[in-house]
Amino acid sequence: MSQQTPEIYSVELSGTKDIVKTDKGDGKEKYRGLKNNCLERKKKNHKEEFQKELHLDDHKLSNRELEKKYGTDIITGLSSTRAAELLARDGPNSLTPPKQTPEIVKFLKQMVGGFSVLLWVGAFLCWIAFGIEYSSNKSASLNNVYLGSVLVLVVIFTGIFAYYQEAKSTNIMSSFKKMIPQQALVIRDSEKKTIPSEQLVVGDIVEVKGGDQIPADIRVLSSQGCRVDNSSLTGESEPQPRSSEFTHENPLETKNICFYSTTCLEASTCPVGTITGMVINTGDRTIIGHIASLASGVGNEKTPIAIEIEHFVHIVAGVAVSIGILFFIIAVSMNYRVLDSIIFLIGIIVANVPEGLLATVTVTLSLTAKRMAKKNCLVKNLEAVETLGSTSIICSDKTGTLTQNRMTVAHLWFDNQIFVADTSENHSNQVFDQSSRTWASLSKIITLCNRAEFKPGQENVPIMKKAVIGDASETALLKFSEVILGDVMEIRKRNRKVAEIPFNSTNKFQLSIHETDDPHDKRFLMVMKGAPERILEKCSTIMINGEEHPLDSTARACQVACMELGKMDERVLCFCHLYLPAHEFPETYKFDTDAMNFPTSNLCFVGLLSMIDPPRSTVPDAVTKCRSAGIKVIMVTGDHPITAKAIAKSVGIISANSETVEDIARRLSIAVEQVNKWDAKAAVVTGMELKDMSSEQVDEILANYQEIVFARTSPQQKLIIVEGCQRQDAVVAVTGDGVNDSPALKKADIGVAMGIAGSDAAKNAADMVLLDDNFASIVTGVEEGRLIFDNLKKTIAYTLTKNIAELCPFLIYIIVGLPLPIGTITILFIDLGTDIIPSIALAYEKAESDIMNRKPRHKKKDRLVNQPLAVYSYLHIGLMQALGAFLVYFTVYAQEGFLPRRLINLRVEWEKDYVNDLEDSYGQEWTRYQRAYLEWTGYTAFFVGILVQQIADLIIRKTRRNSIFQQGPFRNKVIWVGIASQIIIGLVLSYGLGSVTALSFTMLRAQYWFVAVPHAILIWVYDEVRKLFIRLYPGSWWDKNMYY
Amino acid sequence: MRRQLRSRRAPSFPYSYRYRLDDPDEVNQNYLADEEEEAEEEARVTVVPKSEEEEEEEEKEEEEEEGKEEEEGQGQPTGNAWWQKLQIMNEYLWDPERRMFLARTGQSWSVMIRPFAHSLNFNFNVSEPDTWQHYVISLNGFLQGYNDSLQEEMNVDCPPGQYFIQDGNEDEDKKACQFKRSFLKNCSGLEDPTFGYSTGQPCILLKMNRVVGFRPELGDPVKVSCKVQRGDENDIRSISYYPESASFDLRYYPYYGKLTHVNYTSPLVAMHFTDVVKNQAVPVQCQLKGKGIINDVINDRFVGRVIFTLNIET
Repeated sequence: MSQQTPEIYSVELSGTKDIVKTDKGDGKEKYRGLKNNCLERKKKNHKEEFQKELHLDDHKLSNRELEKKYGTDIITGLSSTRAAELLARDGPNSLTPPKQTPEIVKFLKQMVGGFSVLLWVGAFLCWIAFGIEYSSNKSASLNNVYLGSVLVLVVIFTGIFAYYQEAKSTNIMSSFKKMIPQQALVIRDSEKKTIPSEQLVVGDIVEVKGGDQIPADIRVLSSQGCRVDNSSLTGESEPQPRSSEFTHENPLETKNICFYSTTCLEASTCPVGTITGMVINTGDRTIIGHIASLASGVGNEKTPIAIEIEHFVHIVAGVAVSIGILFFIIAVSMNYRVLDSIIFLIGIIVANVPEGLLATVTVTLSLTAKRMAKKNCLVKNLEAVETLGSTSIICSDKTGTLTQNRMTVAHLWFDNQIFVADTSENHSNQVFDQSSRTWASLSKIITLCNRAEFKPGQENVPIMKKAVIGDASETALLKFSEVILGDVMEIRKRNRKVAEIPFNSTNKFQLSIHETDDPHDKRFLMVMKGAPERILEKCSTIMINGEEHPLDSTARACQVACMELGKMDERVLCFCHLYLPAHEFPETYKFDTDAMNFPTSNLCFVGLLSMIDPPRSTVPDAVTKCRSAGIKVIMVTGDHPITAKAIAKSVGIISANSETVEDIARRLSIAVEQVNKWDAKAAVVTGMELKDMSSEQVDEILANYQEIVFARTSPQQKLIIVEGCQRQDAVVAVTGDGVNDSPALKKADIGVAMGIAGSDAAKNAADMVLLDDNFASIVTGVEEGRLIFDNLKKTIAYTLTKNIAELCPFLIYIIVGLPLPIGTITILFIDLGTDIIPSIALAYEKAESDIMNRKPRHKKKDRLVNQPLAVYSYLHIGLMQALGAFLVYFTVYAQEGFLPRRLINLRVEWEKDYVNDLEDSYGQEWTRYQRAYLEWTGYTAFFVGILVQQIADLIIRKTRRNSIFQQGPFRNKVIWVGIASQIIIGLVLSYGLGSVTALSFTMLRAQYWFVAVPHAILIWVYDEVRKLFIRLYPGSWWDKNMYY
Repeated sequence: MRRQLRSRRAPSFPYSYRYRLDDPDEVNQNYLADEEEEAEEEARVTVVPKSEEEEEEEEKEEEEEEGKEEEEGQGQPTGNAWWQKLQIMNEYLWDPERRMFLARTGQSWSVMIRPFAHSLNFNFNVSEPDTWQHYVISLNGFLQGYNDSLQEEMNVDCPPGQYFIQDGNEDEDKKACQFKRSFLKNCSGLEDPTFGYSTGQPCILLKMNRVVGFRPELGDPVKVSCKVQRGDENDIRSISYYPESASFDLRYYPYYGKLTHVNYTSPLVAMHFTDVVKNQAVPVQCQLKGKGIINDVINDRFVGRVIFTLNIET
């Protein structure tokens, strides 16, 4: 155990060293893993490029070898001609955008997708029918031409609508482009030149200043105190130092390689940070280029809702085509003219296709998207709104998503006690004992031995949000002390600093000497902080309750405390001080930090602080909610396993009472190998272990462990994990913020990027952006997604119902020969007119029960449109509706003189233009136009019949299980708006547009509006009875077949 | 069952709801101006027989439900101010007295001609009987029902110049007035079995479409007049009308519907085109002229008029 200690201690002070220890040889393996698992599915050229990267060994070469390899000179640089040659050979230093589907192709795709094909067929059949008719009779009516045009308009309109929606989702490459630095300082022909970085070629010698972006992958030749922010590439939040030394086999880990598009930071110790380096890779051959191509190479998976809608379209289209063809054959064999049969076919298709539905779905989704945007979930891809609802596994990145991504003081140890500090977002609630005199000394050290400062001009910003100049842990300490002690700068002013040794990696401590704020005390105060092992060896006494005791037995206690905190992977800093005796160091004493003319041993140990990147306060609750919603939360991070596990435990990804194999081994004091690995509920899997696993083994882990943490994973491995989850038929959500997450974000069924911390690449690869970086927003998303799925079911059930009522007229028209009960145009007015707003209104319906307490839907079993839904909509309510509408139709005809018996087989006579004295049941004679007018009145009557019953349909669709009264009939106001709109549109069509011949509406007498009301009531009662039996006999035959 | 339903419904109708009973055969009472009230009474009763007569087995539930429905829709208490207003609005929507719906005619007086000709083109060659024989056959067939012997046997000879109104129970059979074939004189086919087609002087019969309860304006029978529709007016130099009045006598109205008015014979006006330009197509328009007769509806070329083409070749 004690062997572990230094490793843990070293975390804070030298991040890279730790990586060296834990990840020996990891890099190469990473790429092997990539090659084995990932590339098989990639294109060949990708494969070659990755293999080439595998051989990247420039970091091992000496400067001389490099010069030779790239034919360049470190002092004079490339010659301009050579550079031009290379540029011509390798192409510009920029990322090739992925092949874009031309906009016109996207547009055309919308025009032929979904139901559009059927409608196109219908339109062409219309025109063909007209053509045939026209060729035999020049005065053929233009009705078919109108109808065809209307169908085409419908297709084009919905196509444009869908295209507009899709066009909103942005392109992933645009962000990678944005990251490219514009200018680069390069040495060519022995001269320093500024050129656009696109023109860089391999072998160029470039200079990068602090604050710039690295213009290409470069091998560092010389470096002055520079660090690079690799967080977007590796997930490490700590800036990495860079120098010309070769420190690691793995190019990703070695210090002498800087990567394209990462940012070069000035280390705080060194005011003029510059890096001189040689370009070794440009454009797509850079690491970032590979990740970009990885991300764009990952196909955009179809969203679950897209699959559902496709499934639904197939069902409806199947029904339409088979009924259409069946009745075409019947019609032909009944000796109808082929031309007429074609017209029937069109009618059947139009009646069967819910033209407005896809637009409704889009609107519904975008309404939910808007609602989610209000709750800080920005949805980029509309269909992703639902995906979150069906999500069964969430793979969450750690840094920035689960944690706050800033170091925060978590624990304190002084007076032989561990105190817990408040790590919540605002630090408001510090409860530890602040009365001890030890704390007074400790707080003074924390305040003084700190170089971090607030940026000026932030007086009104809350302390925790203030920007700070300084590194992460100093920032944490500064804010911590500012919160507890008040104005830190003032305290520092009172204790003037006279000398200082900043932190460096060889010392591993930081030291400063101050005057005291007590005017009578002429002593200097030396304060020091640093890694525990360094500080402890410099101390001889320890302060307990304000008094100095020799450091002997307590040293052990101190070490235990360090261990304790280290186990939770907290970064530990120790603090000690020494009052320099006034006689040896008078006020005028000149301290020389180089010569060290002051003592640095036998100090007094005061206490220690530990810092972590704490979990966000809302995360544990959100994880619990996800659990109860049946969603498995997996942590996938690039960070170290210990850190990952600690955070996982604190947020509940690994619950308090579950153990990993290692935990069991430790508890039973046996070797890890002896533990039955399936006894453990939780697992921590590192990238190293992952790379040796076959996909079957990955599946095994994902299937058998409830709580999984993946640590030290590469972007490629994240991809493998996501694929593994998807193989389990799970719908996978991935959250992340870095460039390294972007392939996984893209691969996931739904990628969720962080809006504040997230890199542009991540945001672009994602389908959803959490504007507040709050994991808890995902829970909201899940809830909304599940609700929208339920409500879409209702919408579709509502929309499908009337299709039968629209279809039956055609069938009966063909078989029984009634005058056509409803026209094709009239059907379009229902589908695209009266029914649109009500079906959107169903999206506002509240959940029937607690949707967050049920399991996520199984994407292959719980379909959007299932058999009970289709059967109930088509054959129960649909048929009732058809009957009701026919009732209105027969009423109108009977009142005009055509009793139902007379109508049978009247069709042929009825439609003869030259028969102008057709007798009705009362012997009255009708001209063709009078019959046509009556026919339109019939259309209107049928339309009104459907409309009235659709109102009942709308009301019954509010719930699937509960009674309307349980749901509250007036809770969803929009439903009533929908009903009102239905009636108003119906009135306008009948009385307002009744005189427009082409629309074939007439002004219907008022009482016909009430004919279908009893039927509407019957529908409602029927559905209430259905719901009642479902509630009374759950699991019964009735429940299985009548619940959709 | 049905009868009960109807009779139960009938008394419950408030006076003002008669507009609802606008079935074609009920309109007549509006013309009994001096006896409104009585007419109302009648109106209520009128429905019944018709409904009973039509008592056919196959109009099952639907019709019944219709009846029920009407009750629900209409059976509101009278005297309710709100309902009155609604009723005024309804009256606007549907004006039963003039059979107008939002000021549009639902069923106007339309006409049709015989013989039957496809596209209303009378195209024949005098010297080739084959080209006109089918017209003759058609006319002969059509006029079988008008044979004098048949008419005398079945129908009554009622006084001309006034409506033949038959009060009494609605389900009573109504008598029909005679319209004898011989009224058509030269176009009766009795003297000239070819109806003039063999001489290039074709007869065309104009028949008004039957509309239950419909009557032309009081005391002023509807006249028929034909002329060239487009082109030289002199293409038709003379037309003879039979009966000579060229009108439909009032005694043939009203029509009570074929269920009770079984032997009703539609009155005819024969147009004998005695002198028409030969060897060219002559578009002819025959219009009904009379008070309140609409003969210029654009959409329906058979309301109050009929247009056909004569092309007589020699």
